[in-house]
Amino acid sequence: MATVECRNLCKSYGSHEVIRNFNLSISDHEFIVFLGPSGCGKSTILRMVAGLEEITGGDLFIGGARVNDRDPGDRGIAMVFQNYALYPHMSVRENITFALERAGTSRDEIRRRLDPVVETLGLDIYLGRKPTELSGGQQQRVAIARAMIKTPEVFLFDEPLSNLDAKLRGHLRVEIARLHRALNTTSVYVTHDQLEAMTLADRIVLMNQGRIEQMGTPEEIYSRPATVFTAGFIGTPSMNFFSLDAGEGRLRNADIDLAAPFPLRAGKVTLGIRPGAIRLVPEGTPDAIAATVERDEFHGDMRLISLNAGAESFMVSVPAATRLSEGERVLAHLDPASLHVFDAESGQRLGD
Amino acid sequence: MRVGRSLPYVFLGPALLVLVILAAVPTLYAVNLSLQNRTLSAPQAEYVWLANYLKLFSDDRFLNALWVSLKWEVLTVSATMAVGIGLAIAMFEAATRRWRMILSVLFIIPVLLPRVCAAFVWKFSFHPLYGAVTWPVRALTGQTPDVLAHPWGAMLTVAFVDVWQWGLFFAVIILKLMEALPPQPIEAARIDKAKGWEIHRFVTLPMLKLPLISLLLVKAIESLRSFDLVYVMTRGGPGVSTETLDMYAYSQGFIEAGNISYASSMAVIMMVLTVILFTSIWKRLNK
Repeated sequence: MATVECRNLCKSYGSHEVIRNFNLSISDHEFIVFLGPSGCGKSTILRMVAGLEEITGGDLFIGGARVNDRDPGDRGIAMVFQNYALYPHMSVRENITFALERAGTSRDEIRRRLDPVVETLGLDIYLGRKPTELSGGQQQRVAIARAMIKTPEVFLFDEPLSNLDAKLRGHLRVEIARLHRALNTTSVYVTHDQLEAMTLADRIVLMNQGRIEQMGTPEEIYSRPATVFTAGFIGTPSMNFFSLDAGEGRLRNADIDLAAPFPLRAGKVTLGIRPGAIRLVPEGTPDAIAATVERDEFHGDMRLISLNAGAESFMVSVPAATRLSEGERVLAHLDPASLHVFDAESGQRLGD
Repeated sequence: MRVGRSLPYVFLGPALLVLVILAAVPTLYAVNLSLQNRTLSAPQAEYVWLANYLKLFSDDRFLNALWVSLKWEVLTVSATMAVGIGLAIAMFEAATRRWRMILSVLFIIPVLLPRVCAAFVWKFSFHPLYGAVTWPVRALTGQTPDVLAHPWGAMLTVAFVDVWQWGLFFAVIILKLMEALPPQPIEAARIDKAKGWEIHRFVTLPMLKLPLISLLLVKAIESLRSFDLVYVMTRGGPGVSTETLDMYAYSQGFIEAGNISYASSMAVIMMVLTVILFTSIWKRLNK
């Protein structure tokens, strides 16, 4: 097991720069998730760590040693790919033991190491089959077994669950979490699925356009988003945003007028609040926004209501039992403790 | 229902008809001919049934031709596959996209040449007095090497021209096959500590097993039809050292004796051997 450190990593294709001065230090045993929209560079960094993508500039350390120029096989890593990347002509057993055979491990040793891995992932009955005779979930299990048997210093996962259906995804997610608890190997996991990120990560690295947008525990990122991008990316249903003018202790525009949660300099701000932090209140409550109901979506455990207040539209989640008809007039109250205020220009968080 | 069932015959019918006329008629004619004692010099002939076939197996030149054909098949097929796979891997590993394009175009040119042209070009290149290939030897030693006059030299030289045409072409096909493979298993193999050639030995080539087998069979069938190449370059010589079955059948039928029935029986044997051999190889390899 080992630490991973990226120092000023850069990647460009010709003159097109995709990653610039990427710095990250991952400690031993840590489970790091790279989260971000497609094209944000998260997979590129993972592939640079794996050695599948050449590093244009900067240094990469695994276990304290600089590995920039080492072959993928000599970096002490194992990788699980999105499309499984099994060897189609080999049986499940051959797929799993291929790396050990290449490394010159003895037959007895291979047999000894194969059994626990196969047992952990429940692959006993499939050992003789070819990958094409397995379902997607089983194939990805084989891929995980192939990575596990090498007892690598670092596990790399490149969107391993993206090709599976929702139910299997949930299943394997729990399995990966369990495996990590048991093996405690340093892991880097790339995904665009925030649920995977939130549930698996010790630390989430949220990426946007080749940069780290924010880094922190899932809770930190959810409750204190550092930028408008983070705030909008994390959380389902996603956060509501209002463009407001700050001044005289108020936040206002043509349709909204609220007390500022903390003293603010006069200027334009973006106010964010999650749908769950807005309540519908009775007539006469101070600081409430008058709005009309535009749409009512039933989500099972709750309802998501789209409201219109003049030019602004926003979402509120209410208990599923609430009955509202379209066009109905309501009063919405924003919980002052759950307001996120961002500078309108830089998108950076203001206040604490 | 009726229409649906007859549709395949409607589509297959014309093609099958053409095939019957073009293939079955000459085949049956050859079989019929091989059972007679027809020669080119006399119009009348009578049925001698299997006499021609019996005679063949005591004909040393025929047995030699069988042996030469076998050597030729093994030599050209294996050399073509080796050159094709070797060059394809070399291009895949070392050449940039641009160079692969350029090389591919260059490598396709030889196979576009009609075989007779290729044979003449190389025959002249190997000419002891004027050839470009033999020039360095002439310049250095003053001797005039005639490779085509040596039994093994002739065999290898003719095989070389065959491989020059087909091995380079196969290299392009195999390169394209390799480029079409999904890259992830190759990346997985790199992470699994497979080095350079091991990736191809254990991953890419096994993934291409079926297309490679098809190429091998195509080449094996193609190698059987090497008549034009041998005819131009050596005419089966020196002696009978490059006399393949079709070459011998041709000289029996048209050049030397005009024994058209005897030549036909050779053709029939060749056909039967080919069908049996290829069917069994195809079945075995496709398992």
